Amino acid sequence: MASTAPAPSVARPVPKAGATAARQGTKTRRRRRRVDPVFYAFLLPALALFTVAITVPAITGIFYSFTNSIGFGEFEFIGFLNYVVLFSDPAVLSSYGFTMGFALVTVVLVNLIAFFLALGLTSRIRFRNTLRAAFVIPMVISGIIIAYVFQYLFSNSLPALGQSIGNPLLSQSILANADLAWLGIVIVTTWQAVPSALLIYIAGLLSIPGEVYEAGQIDGATGWQRLRSITLPLVAGYVVINMIIGFKNFINSYDIIVGLTNGGPGTATRSVAMTIFTGFTGGDYAYQMANAAIFFLIAIAIAVLQLRVTRGKAAIR
Amino acid sequence: MLGGLGAAGATALLAGCSSPGAGRTDITFYMTKTEVLEHFGELIAEFNSSQSNVRVILDSTSNIAANFVRGNPPDIACFTYNLEMARFMERGALSDLSDVRIASEIRPEVQELVDQYATYPGRTSVIPWSVTAASVIYNQQIFEEQGLAVPQTWSEFTEVCEALTAAGITPIYGTYRDPWTLAQGHFDYTTGGSLDVAAFFDAMHEEGTQVGIDSSVSFQQDFREPMERMVQLNEWSNQNAASRGYGEGNFAMGEGEAAMYMQGPWALTEIEKTAPDAPLGNFPLPMTEDPNDTRVRVNLDLALWIPEASPNKEAAREFLDFLTQPEVQDTYNQQFLAFGTRRDAPPQQDDRIAELQTYYDEGRFYQGASKAIPLTIPAEGYIQAMMTGSSVEGTLRTMDNDWRRLALRS
Repeated sequence: MASTAPAPSVARPVPKAGATAARQGTKTRRRRRRVDPVFYAFLLPALALFTVAITVPAITGIFYSFTNSIGFGEFEFIGFLNYVVLFSDPAVLSSYGFTMGFALVTVVLVNLIAFFLALGLTSRIRFRNTLRAAFVIPMVISGIIIAYVFQYLFSNSLPALGQSIGNPLLSQSILANADLAWLGIVIVTTWQAVPSALLIYIAGLLSIPGEVYEAGQIDGATGWQRLRSITLPLVAGYVVINMIIGFKNFINSYDIIVGLTNGGPGTATRSVAMTIFTGFTGGDYAYQMANAAIFFLIAIAIAVLQLRVTRGKAAIR
Repeated sequence: MLGGLGAAGATALLAGCSSPGAGRTDITFYMTKTEVLEHFGELIAEFNSSQSNVRVILDSTSNIAANFVRGNPPDIACFTYNLEMARFMERGALSDLSDVRIASEIRPEVQELVDQYATYPGRTSVIPWSVTAASVIYNQQIFEEQGLAVPQTWSEFTEVCEALTAAGITPIYGTYRDPWTLAQGHFDYTTGGSLDVAAFFDAMHEEGTQVGIDSSVSFQQDFREPMERMVQLNEWSNQNAASRGYGEGNFAMGEGEAAMYMQGPWALTEIEKTAPDAPLGNFPLPMTEDPNDTRVRVNLDLALWIPEASPNKEAAREFLDFLTQPEVQDTYNQQFLAFGTRRDAPPQQDDRIAELQTYYDEGRFYQGASKAIPLTIPAEGYIQAMMTGSSVEGTLRTMDNDWRRLALRS
C-alpha cells in the first residue's frame, strides 16, 4: 500500500500559486458546472478498483495492527503494543536505516548517470538510435533475473578477477561482506533503474526549443553556462519526477535484494519491504501490519516533503 | 497485500475446477514437495481409478496460510509439519484423527515430535507419515584413504579435521551464502548434539519475557559453547564458503572437493545428479566426549492432517487410509531416503543413510533448534552473521532480546 502513496501526486501538475489562481478562480467555478457527467463515469472504474484493491486492504491492515492476530483464528486487541515494541526492535530499525540510506545513494547515482547519458544521447553523435536502444535493455529484463545474473558475477567472476590481479579486497565476494554487500545492491539497482530515468531525461531535453540555445550562443555563453543556465532550469521538472519516482521505487526494493543477498550477510541488507513480508511467511501478521502502517506514513511524508520543497520551480510545463 | 489478492484469484480458479462430478466427492489434496509430486500424481491416479466414491484433486501451488485465513483449507494435506503449521493445530483448525487405523501404530517417540511444537487437548491432529534424518554427510573414500575412522567424540572430530587439513584436503564444505544451509546444518547439529533441544525451548517459553542473562535458560548461556564450536568449524571449511551456495556445495561434494558436508538426505539426491556413484555415508556430529550423546537431526518431512473446516472429512479419510497402507508408505520412504513412522516400518536399505537407522530406532534424535525459533526472529541471518565474523556473545544477546520482545506481544 505504501507504494501507491506518492503516485497520484506525481501525475498532477503542481498548480501555480498566487495571483494566477485567484484570477482564474471565478472562471473555473463557472466552468465546473458545465462538466459532462460522462467524465465522472470515466473515473468510476479506477476509483472502484483503487478502493477495493488499495483502500480497503490498507484500512483492514491498520485495524489488525492493533491486535495480536496471526492472520487466522481468534485475536485480541492489544492497543499500541505492536507499535511500542516496533520502535525498540533493532531488526526493524536497522531495516529502515539500510533502506533509506540505500534509496538515497541510489537515487542520486541513478539521476546523475541518467542525466549525463541523456545529454550524450541527445547530442549529434554517431549510432545515436542504436545506443539509445542498447541503454534501455536493462529496463525490460525482470529484476529477479538481473539479480541472479549479478549474484553469479559478484560471487564467482569478480573474485576470480580479483585473485588473478592479486587484489585482496576483490578476491572475496562483496555480497558476503556485511560492510560492502549494500554496494552490490546499489550497483545492480542502478543498472536496472537508469533506463527509465534516461527515457524521461531524453524526453525532457528534446522538449527544450533550439532557439534558446541559439540565443545563448549569440550572447556568447560557454557550454558549461548553457548547461547550468538553460538546460538544467528547463529540465528541473523532470529531475523532480525522476527523484520522486526513483525514491519511491527504491524504498520499496524487494526482488533485487532477495536475488542478490536475501537480506544477508546476517541481516545487513534486509529492506523494510522484506521485513514486512516476513509477517506473512512467519505468522507475525499483526506486528508487521504495524510496521507497514508506519512505512506508509513515512512514504506519504516523503512525497509531501518533496513536492513542497520543489514547488514553483518544479512546475511541469 | 497484492500477493494476497493474487492468491485469492488463484484459489477462485481452483474452486472453479473442482465442481463435484456425478456421484463422486471431489476432495483437494495439498502437497507441495516438488521432488515427489510425480510420485504422488501416480498414487492419486491409482486411488482415483481404484474406487468410484472419491476423486482426489492435487493442489500443489496455493498458499496454505491464506487458505486457512479464508476458511477454505484443503480437505487433506501431506505436508511438512513445523512450528508454522503448529499454529493452526493449536487453534483447533485440524480435526481429530485418533480413531484412524494407523494412529495406534505410529512410533510414540515420533508422535512425540508433533507435540514438541504444540498440542490441542484430546486430539491427535497430525499423523506423521515420513521422517527425514540428517547428519554429517562424509566421503567414505577420502576417510578410507586417509585411514580415518568416523569420529565418536568432539575431540576425535577435531583430530579428523586437523588430519584432513594436514593432508591438504578441505575437511568441511560450507555454503554460507544460503543461510538455511547453516541453520539446518551447522547450527542445528552443534546445538542438538550438546543439549536437549525440546526441553530448552519448553523452558524458554516458560521464561518468556524474563529471558536474559539471569534467567534459568537463555541463548546467551546455553548456546554459547555450541555456537563457539560452530564458529570454530570455519577453520576447517573451504575459504570461499561465504560466497558459495547450496547448488555449488552439492556439485563440489560430488566432485570430492571436501570430506564432509552438513546436509540432509535431500542433498544426497541432488549430488546424485552429477555424481551417481559418490561414495557417501552419514554420521551424527559428536559434540561431547561421550559417544552415547550423539544424536541425529530429524524433521517431520511429511505428515497427514484433515482440517476441521473441510466439508468432506469422510472422503478425505478414505484417501488417508489409502496413503497409510504399509506398502504405499514404505515404498515412498524407501525410495526418497526417509524413515517410516509405524512401529513395524522396514529399515532403510540405502547405504548412504543406513548408518542412521540405529539412531532412529533407538529414538536418539532431536528436531532442529532453528526450527523451534519463530520466523519473526531472523535466526538464519544471525547464524550467517556469526559464521562470517559477528560476535557470538552479541548475537546471542540480540536473540534473547528478540525472544523477550516476541513474548511480550504474543
